[in-house]
Amino acid sequence: MTLSTIPSRLPPEASRTGISSGLRGMASESPVSLILWLALALGAAWILPGLVSWALLDATWVAEDRSGCDPSGACWAFIVNRLPQFGFGFFPPQERWRAAVALAWPVVALAIALGPAFRGRSGLVAGALAAYPVGATLVLWGEPLGLPGVGTAQWGGMTMTVYVGTVAFVLAFPVGLVLALGRRSSLPALRVLSTVFIEVWRGLPLIAVLFISVVMVPFLLPPGTELPRLALALVGITLYTSSYLAEVFRGGLQSLGKGQAEAAAALGFTYWTAQGYILIPQAIRAVIPGILNTVVALFKDTTYVLVVGLFDFLNIVNAAVADPHWLGLANEGYIFVGIVYWSFCFLLSRVSARIEWDMARGAAREART
Amino acid sequence: MTAAAINVVGLSKWFGDFLALDDIALTVPRGCSTVLCGPSGSGKSTLLRCLNGLESWEEGEVVMSGRPVGHRPRDLVALRRRVGMVFQDFNLFPHLDALSNVALPPRVNLGLARAEAEAEAEMLLAQVGLADFARKYPAQLSGGQKQRVAIARALAMQPEVLLFDEPTSALDPESIGEVLDVMISLADAGRTMVVVTHEMGFARRVCHEVVFMCAGRVAECCPPERFFAEPETERARAFLAQVQY
Repeated sequence: MTLSTIPSRLPPEASRTGISSGLRGMASESPVSLILWLALALGAAWILPGLVSWALLDATWVAEDRSGCDPSGACWAFIVNRLPQFGFGFFPPQERWRAAVALAWPVVALAIALGPAFRGRSGLVAGALAAYPVGATLVLWGEPLGLPGVGTAQWGGMTMTVYVGTVAFVLAFPVGLVLALGRRSSLPALRVLSTVFIEVWRGLPLIAVLFISVVMVPFLLPPGTELPRLALALVGITLYTSSYLAEVFRGGLQSLGKGQAEAAAALGFTYWTAQGYILIPQAIRAVIPGILNTVVALFKDTTYVLVVGLFDFLNIVNAAVADPHWLGLANEGYIFVGIVYWSFCFLLSRVSARIEWDMARGAAREART
Repeated sequence: MTAAAINVVGLSKWFGDFLALDDIALTVPRGCSTVLCGPSGSGKSTLLRCLNGLESWEEGEVVMSGRPVGHRPRDLVALRRRVGMVFQDFNLFPHLDALSNVALPPRVNLGLARAEAEAEAEMLLAQVGLADFARKYPAQLSGGQKQRVAIARALAMQPEVLLFDEPTSALDPESIGEVLDVMISLADAGRTMVVVTHEMGFARRVCHEVVFMCAGRVAECCPPERFFAEPETERARAFLAQVQY
């Protein structure tokens, strides 16, 4: 055998993976594993037929009210009838396209992040998210754009959930970065201030934060200033999220060796240029899973805006379930809520996985050119 | 008479109660290379790191090209833009490819245009024998290649003085040669260099002066021929016997 044939040798048959070897592997699995497989199959056989006939085969999709639904199946007609409200809250029907824009904006941005790579993609996604707080507020409110004004009391549903989640995240991101840098600062006053700030907001339940921002913040404003509750709630959620993000960022900054900061200093970078060009980009890359984890938690926590009287997606479905025309359809309502929330969170986790995958592959792709 | 590139006068530094540098005096003339050597813990790396302000000191002065170096952050940034440094463990920026590692510092810190900085970076990478590696990331380079990129990166800031902190200590024997070749060519081209190293072959061959440190003091300071032929102190003789084993 010559040396040159060595690299082309394949590993022994048994260690190769694939469906056929996986099936063959079943036979050689341990008894415990076989019992687990069997239990799973039995469980599925027990649950699935009933579930499928209830949710799909016997389900009613079109009906005027509860009485039009086949009682043996799911009454999805309830969801279909209320879909505009679940999606857009109490937005006037002729202005719903604006709510749709605010709802689709971050979703499209995430879809681009998941789609095929192209030059400037990450810049486009980041730009779309950065522009969201101002852009979406203008589109929803409408008056400054010369559109009919829609007050925040009429915003709601999935639009509210996505709006609150995205705005709070986009605003909390820079605040969190500054807090993380502050907590690592060599200036004691700044360090103490950042630490106290982070620990206060992180140590309170979000519901308490919302009460504080809606009840107490107006006392701090000059008399006569009136801010919508939504704005006050957003301030609270942003501060709460920024304290979590700050700790995530701090973890990332901590993970960089001392050598990176020293190398940057030795090359004449100032504190801020070193942070901006060298340290923060690396820190953020290191903690992408942590950031996305915070975003998923934030997205689900937005539903606490209920306590200050705002109707996000879960709360508006909750209200609809109590509608006399559609009484007794809590199952359908909450299953729908569950599927939608889960889909959004799954989308976020795919984006996280995709960013990590892109970063791992980026180096390899560059190497080939 | 032109001022020396670096003048260290009466420099003392403590880590807590430990006197790390004791009344150091050192002169590095322009265009000369100086090797700092000595047993570990003798303060040679600490002294080197004082020369670009990565370490502060309690007493004494560092004078660069006739001007004393201040302690304010602004002074230190200005100093570091004139003094390059190459580290033992490279410290390349892992999120940037080799070309950007070299091109970014002059773009940000000297205000060079992107095209200009990248053209310069390509030239420097070619100079250290890595023209084909411009688009590689640090993780894809061998130790010797990383260290050569680090040298190119330090050169990109057009420093008046280059500091090397044990540049070959983290390398395998084959890579040591390729890095030393680059350093020798720089010394031969008249760069002002201060090198902390155990490579006595390099010291013997290219440097103009050997500074032997021991317990935070400069024990000997003389041309390499004399240092290697007839070291004055017992400690230096013992050291040479060890490293030239």
